[in-house]
Amino acid sequence: MSIEETRSDFHLLMDEVKSDLLRMGAHVAEGISAVTVALLAGDIDAAAAIGTADDELDLLSIEAEEKCVRMLALQQPVAVDLRTILTDLRMISEIERSGDLVSNISKAIGRLRGVELEPRLRGLLDRMCEQAVRLTTLAIDAYADRDAGLASALGDLDDRLDELHNDFLDTVFASRGDRILTTQQAVQLAVIGRFYERIGDHAVNVGERVQYLVTGVLPEHTGATRARARREESS
Amino acid sequence: MVETNNLNESAREEKKTTISLSPTISSMATRGDESTADPSAAEVIFDVEKLDAFYGDFKALSNVSLQVYKSQVTAFIGPSGCGKSTFLRCFNRMNDLIEGARVEGTIKYRGADLYDEEVDPVEVRRRIGMVFQKPNPFPKSIFENVAYGPRLSGLKKSKLAETVEKSLRRSALWDEVKDRLSASAYGLSGGQQQRLCIARAIAVQPDVVLMDEPCSALDPIATARIEELITELKSEYTIVIVTHNMQQAARMSDQTAFFSVALDSHGSRTGELVEFDKTETIFTNPNDSRTEAYITGRVG
Repeated sequence: MSIEETRSDFHLLMDEVKSDLLRMGAHVAEGISAVTVALLAGDIDAAAAIGTADDELDLLSIEAEEKCVRMLALQQPVAVDLRTILTDLRMISEIERSGDLVSNISKAIGRLRGVELEPRLRGLLDRMCEQAVRLTTLAIDAYADRDAGLASALGDLDDRLDELHNDFLDTVFASRGDRILTTQQAVQLAVIGRFYERIGDHAVNVGERVQYLVTGVLPEHTGATRARARREESS
Repeated sequence: MVETNNLNESAREEKKTTISLSPTISSMATRGDESTADPSAAEVIFDVEKLDAFYGDFKALSNVSLQVYKSQVTAFIGPSGCGKSTFLRCFNRMNDLIEGARVEGTIKYRGADLYDEEVDPVEVRRRIGMVFQKPNPFPKSIFENVAYGPRLSGLKKSKLAETVEKSLRRSALWDEVKDRLSASAYGLSGGQQQRLCIARAIAVQPDVVLMDEPCSALDPIATARIEELITELKSEYTIVIVTHNMQQAARMSDQTAFFSVALDSHGSRTGELVEFDKTETIFTNPNDSRTEAYITGRVG
């Protein structure tokens, strides 16, 4: 039987949302790189411009969400169409949240007041940036290619970012101990490190949604399994 | 259009002797006491194995195997010409009434072979009722429409009114017609007529109700009423429904079978069962790409 498209307007709109998400993902990945450059250069003006760019991401996310709502209300999506729209909705908030984190880093740059960062901290920030960009890009690639294997590998990649984050914190506190940083600067840097680490978590969440999109199975969370076991025990 | 209770008469001509289907059928278990959640735990009402259906030389349906479970709604969906209505009619031997129609393979109803030559089709159709696409009340009063079947089955006159009321209540029509039972059924709206046909079908206390696109001639409100009614009735009856409306199958049924048209080894078109699963699975994560293509509108 030949495949013939009978709901082309609907499926075109679905493709449009997919493009919106790819654009949003690229926006975030570029934002991570740009904010890191500004951070390392202590460039407060560049940091402010990144904050403004987040408004653009918010607009894209609202437009994409409105398209999803329209499809749910008007098209009664089922099967892969339903899973795609549910995935899109969840991904919009994950990517939008990553954009907010980029924006938070840009705001923290101002609060660092142009501190000269020591080489080890600069190296760790550079590598955290690289890893966060990689995770974000791969998560979006997994979505674009419907690649459940790649999506499931994001958790392991995120472990690397977590290690870098731990190293970064240790280095920040050591620098504070050596009085290279003020308490305020140390706190701001610790918070910035946390923002990079959270961007990685959002990429992992995107990967979980992509796995659902491809397999139809909601990702099994360890906590949920434990709670279910407890519920069954008590009943 | 063949009408439910006329069948009793036409079928009587086919076969004069009445033979019970099987002892298990005569002593039917209490209805409505089973969970619908897990089909594997539910009792099998129909067990179809390798069924082929023919109209003369034309093979309308090829190699269908599935189970229909007790107190569940099983929906058949698929494009026109996929054999889903033919399949539905196999369940109460309605196809016997069509010249040249025959089946190969087996349909077991509560363990008994439905097409065994000892089986009386009249008894089959009493236990397995049918509701059609277009409401088809008899040109009689509302009361007589419902009383017709029970009277034919020998119900005492004194019990008739009670049975009519009970059936009309179950089909959610009683409150609308209780003051005009002697009025013609033709005065009812389309949706009411269809609920009357459902009342007529359940008045003879069937085990199974087959429905062939029961809402396709009705407006959305009447459709919603019938759907609600079907959901209520499933605790007492096993329901099998053919529908062109996929959302309807998704809303109402517990199990869904997707049929499609395939070319057989001689290049002729024949209906086949593509996928049969829990309705939730079919509409969220179907196993077969043909099912997915059909329900998402990617196949013409």
